[in-house]
Amino acid sequence: MLKAGPAKKVSIYVGEDHQHHGRSDYSAILDFLFYRGVSGASVMRGVAGFGADHHMHTTRIELLTGNLPMKIEFIESPEKVEELLPKLHEMVGTGLIEVQDTTVVKPSQASKKKAPQASIPSLRREGKAKLMRIFIGENDKWRDKPLHKALIESMRANDLAGVTVYQGILGYGANRRVHRETTLNLSHDRPMMLSVVDTEEKLRAYSPILDSMVQQGLVVLSDVDIVKYTHDYQEEERRKEVRQ
Amino acid sequence: MKLEGKAKMLRIHFGEDDKWKDKPLYRAIVEKCRELDIAGATVFRGVEGYGASTLIHRSHLLSFSPDAPIMVSVIDSEDKVRKLIPYLDEMVDEGLIAMSEVEVIKYVHQSGARS
Repeated sequence: MLKAGPAKKVSIYVGEDHQHHGRSDYSAILDFLFYRGVSGASVMRGVAGFGADHHMHTTRIELLTGNLPMKIEFIESPEKVEELLPKLHEMVGTGLIEVQDTTVVKPSQASKKKAPQASIPSLRREGKAKLMRIFIGENDKWRDKPLHKALIESMRANDLAGVTVYQGILGYGANRRVHRETTLNLSHDRPMMLSVVDTEEKLRAYSPILDSMVQQGLVVLSDVDIVKYTHDYQEEERRKEVRQ
Repeated sequence: MKLEGKAKMLRIHFGEDDKWKDKPLYRAIVEKCRELDIAGATVFRGVEGYGASTLIHRSHLLSFSPDAPIMVSVIDSEDKVRKLIPYLDEMVDEGLIAMSEVEVIKYVHQSGARS
């Protein structure tokens, strides 16, 4: 947690329309900061502004213009800022990042914190890896949010290579209770399985976070060989064009 | 119940149409697992597939067709899983049963946390 004394204040400027892997950049950055245990962050929307491209973004000219300036601000210890910057750099795209020295006079009060995670080299493209399967219930919550959604967000923020969520139709687990879907598919108590593939080190580094989030369920690890792990950059570019 | 360290995962693949004594086979398997006090079982419905019978199983647009591929995944210690196999052998007429090794990282439940 943030202590009184010298700290860094980081301001990130992006456009409201900026995208990061198919979602708005500012919310991706905010999620990243949240799941990496930053002690606090705020997002502010500007009413007008311009950036490196000297294109005026304003609400006045066209009422419906979406691309207003967004500013994300957070204050953290210099070490933590140092640790987060490389990823932020990648996430802001054409945006701007500014770091200032600041002094925390009175830290805000909070009760919970999460262990910071060092960044670990990304998944090798082939060879041995581990497959982690997490069995939970659709009803499980983490801080009032569906656990499977929170897990995906936290895995993304911790740079795991990928995750897929499967919904089961019937099952039971540690608490012996049967989870099943009803005929009308309105049940919110189906079994869920998340499967994550990454290197053993990354999965092990992630497991304390997982541990704090999964209150009941089963987590198992097995060996897999990666045959192919690719990403279609052209496809991503096309999608970006469509959005603009 | 405790489960830790090395364990086995059994995956049983068959069709949603398959029956065991007039009840859906997947339900019968889950019930058998509970009877044998196996740590857990989960049934998944696939979108499309084919198998031993080389018939394409496909769940149709409105999911009125019942014959989607089904996978039941069961995890427990090797001896418990091995106890289940003879029953599966008898129940699964047409399908695939595969076993693999897994390492249990976590197996917990909160008593009374859920109604």
